[in-house]
Amino acid sequence: MSVRFDRSEAPGTIRLEGDIDVGCAAELKALLEEAMAPRDGRQRGARIAVATATGMDVTAVQLLWAAEREAQAAGMVLALEGPVPEMLRTALREAGFQRFPLAPHAQDDADDGAQRGSQG
Amino acid sequence: MANEAESFRLAFREEARELLVELESCLLELNEKGGDGELVARVFRALHTIKGSGAMFGFDALAAFTHKLENAFDEVRQGRLGMTPQLVDLTLAALDQIRAMVEQEAGEAAADPARCAAILEGVSALTGEAHRGNAPAAAEDSDSGARDRGGATAASKAGGFESGATAQVWRILFTPGPDLMRNGADPLLLLRELGQMGRLTAEASMEGIPPLRKLEPERCYVRWKLRLETTAGAKVSLDAIRDVFIFVEDACTLEIECEGTAGRTAEAGPEAEAKTDAGLKQPAGDVSARALEEKRKNPGRREGDRENAGSLRVPAARLDQLVDLVGELVTVQARLTALAARSEDAAVLAVGEEIERLTSALRENSMTLRMVPVRATFERFRRLVHDLGRDLGKNVELTIEGAETELDKTVIDQLGDPLMHLIRNSMDHGVETPEVRAGAGKGRGATIHLAARHAGASVLIEVSDDGAGIDREAVRARAIERGLACEGAALTDSEIFGFIFQPGFSTAREVTDLSGRGVGMDVVRQRVESLRGTIEVSSRRGQGTTVTLRLPLTLAIIDGLLVTVGDGSYVLPLSSTLECIELTREDIAAANGKHVAYVRGEMVPYVRLRETFGVRSEAPGREQIMVVENDGGRCGLVVDRVLGDCQTVIRNLGSLYRHVQSVSGATILGDGTVALILDPQRLVQEAMRTKAQEGRGRVSPPC
Repeated sequence: MSVRFDRSEAPGTIRLEGDIDVGCAAELKALLEEAMAPRDGRQRGARIAVATATGMDVTAVQLLWAAEREAQAAGMVLALEGPVPEMLRTALREAGFQRFPLAPHAQDDADDGAQRGSQG
Repeated sequence: MANEAESFRLAFREEARELLVELESCLLELNEKGGDGELVARVFRALHTIKGSGAMFGFDALAAFTHKLENAFDEVRQGRLGMTPQLVDLTLAALDQIRAMVEQEAGEAAADPARCAAILEGVSALTGEAHRGNAPAAAEDSDSGARDRGGATAASKAGGFESGATAQVWRILFTPGPDLMRNGADPLLLLRELGQMGRLTAEASMEGIPPLRKLEPERCYVRWKLRLETTAGAKVSLDAIRDVFIFVEDACTLEIECEGTAGRTAEAGPEAEAKTDAGLKQPAGDVSARALEEKRKNPGRREGDRENAGSLRVPAARLDQLVDLVGELVTVQARLTALAARSEDAAVLAVGEEIERLTSALRENSMTLRMVPVRATFERFRRLVHDLGRDLGKNVELTIEGAETELDKTVIDQLGDPLMHLIRNSMDHGVETPEVRAGAGKGRGATIHLAARHAGASVLIEVSDDGAGIDREAVRARAIERGLACEGAALTDSEIFGFIFQPGFSTAREVTDLSGRGVGMDVVRQRVESLRGTIEVSSRRGQGTTVTLRLPLTLAIIDGLLVTVGDGSYVLPLSSTLECIELTREDIAAANGKHVAYVRGEMVPYVRLRETFGVRSEAPGREQIMVVENDGGRCGLVVDRVLGDCQTVIRNLGSLYRHVQSVSGATILGDGTVALILDPQRLVQEAMRTKAQEGRGRVSPPC
């Protein structure tokens, strides 16, 4: 399991890999707070990449949920980058979470739509 | 982190060992009593705990193996499988394999995969028969895994619901407590396990999640509303649902309600027929109401583990360390008291007394921490008796008395081997076969009785059987033959039976009812003596034998009386001392050279320690008789002076002094000098033996 913050491109990407459980909850919280902290008078944000995540426990879901709620309230970008593994999506749905926390990034969604369109 | 993981694994091993003992005991009781519901539930819960904890701490093979057994006992619990001796034997054999898996990394032999497979095959055969006989719905499922819980889920999903079978509906409100995640539990895994019981619909409630900056990352804020539908073929009990939460029941709020039956009623059972609009009025609803009522009365209690509520598991090594430190403290405190007495400063004396009082309280408390009941040690012999009874064709019941008697853990740890040898000997050579017993007019079934009770500062452990008894004359003849006793010597029963503890006493030749009585008995003697204990044997031909081990309560610190004899200081255990009376020269003269004193009209024999220790200096005009109680009654030990009471840290004298029976250890006094700790029992026994030998000639060693 690992939680990394790729700051090479604004607004930056938090990458979640492997099983994201209570062992990395504190680190994930710190990175989310860092990503959402205003800098130079401007609200920032981040993308969250979960494509290589294999599992997620309730601590991670809570953090992403809380971060998304605050990002929406503040009008900042906090969205998924890339796909959510189906296994992860199913596991969370079976555990009673009606949807995966965070929505796909608008750009990703558009790309995805375009791809689907070209396939169709 | 690695150390933490290892400490969890160690804790699991400790817990598993205890559970395995409990399991063995329950199984053997089940074997005798048949399918007792509470016992079956205890077996199921213990297996479930071993499986769950094992999986949590990385004992995957163990968890998978135990899971199959757990399923079998779930079948028994549900009344679909009978509790047969065959299942008991298979499970006992399985416990041996589980034990090997638990101990594997601790350097013990690993489990035998072939044996494990054979056991599981045997269990599968039994559960398979049960399904063919009683559960047609499950038998239709060709997947062998359908017999386990997961299989039942598959059946309910694939067949039960689709074909319209009647189902129970459980509503569960699960609110994890703040520490649930920190304790290593994962609610999602619990939901997954619950989902294996039927169709689970979960609804996570996120309202409790605070703003990010206030959110404690390792705390669970989500709570769940769950709905579990089960098929008639895979009926789930309240206990089964609670068992899923067994590890977290103290760290969560759980409300379970049964709505009764749901769905189609065409194939409804009795519960469905009783369905009313207010579902909770049904029988199953009563179960729910009972459960909620129980929960209200016992918040936070864990089912099946009630006696452990509020207890704390601490590694024994830490307690040993604590007792060692208290021992050092007691020694230093004694020095402080001696210095304070010399200083004549009232304030220093007052502080010294206060520290003495606190040290004494601390010592008593820390010693109590190491006291554990003998139950676990006793219970494990049920298996030995069961297995030996089967192998030897003898019908023997083990009865246990005083299992709650507490002893220092150090003593208990060393008690297993001697008891094992004594019970083996009783089984092998004491107890007769059913035919022989019937011929002797006894019941065909024999009894071995294991008892423990307190007696002053000692604990008496008795191993008795109602077997053939020891052949007194055969032992005597053998002792004479081996040069341990003289021909024609007048020997008491106690002396004769004492020979069986001589090394290799019975190995040279077979003697009826005697052979083997000496095998392992030397080990018993050595171990008991190393614990500063004594052994007594009584036996009646044709009626049975009783071996009594007298063991000290503790091996660490005792309350003592400091006395002097000549220039030497000695400690007598306070617990064995009844009173102290003066002995004047006039009293000695009045007794006409006999070592007896009159205490309130009662004649009390005494031993003059000056004579025993060969002290040649002149005795004081007034000596002191310390009256002690031993097996034969009251007896006195005469010392020069009594200096007062003292807390005594027992130090071993080392192997060089192991043959000095009358001294049980040494201690360091406040002034730094060493005092020997005397064993009043042994001193009196030795004096009596010497007197007896003077009267009738030597008994031992060879004449």
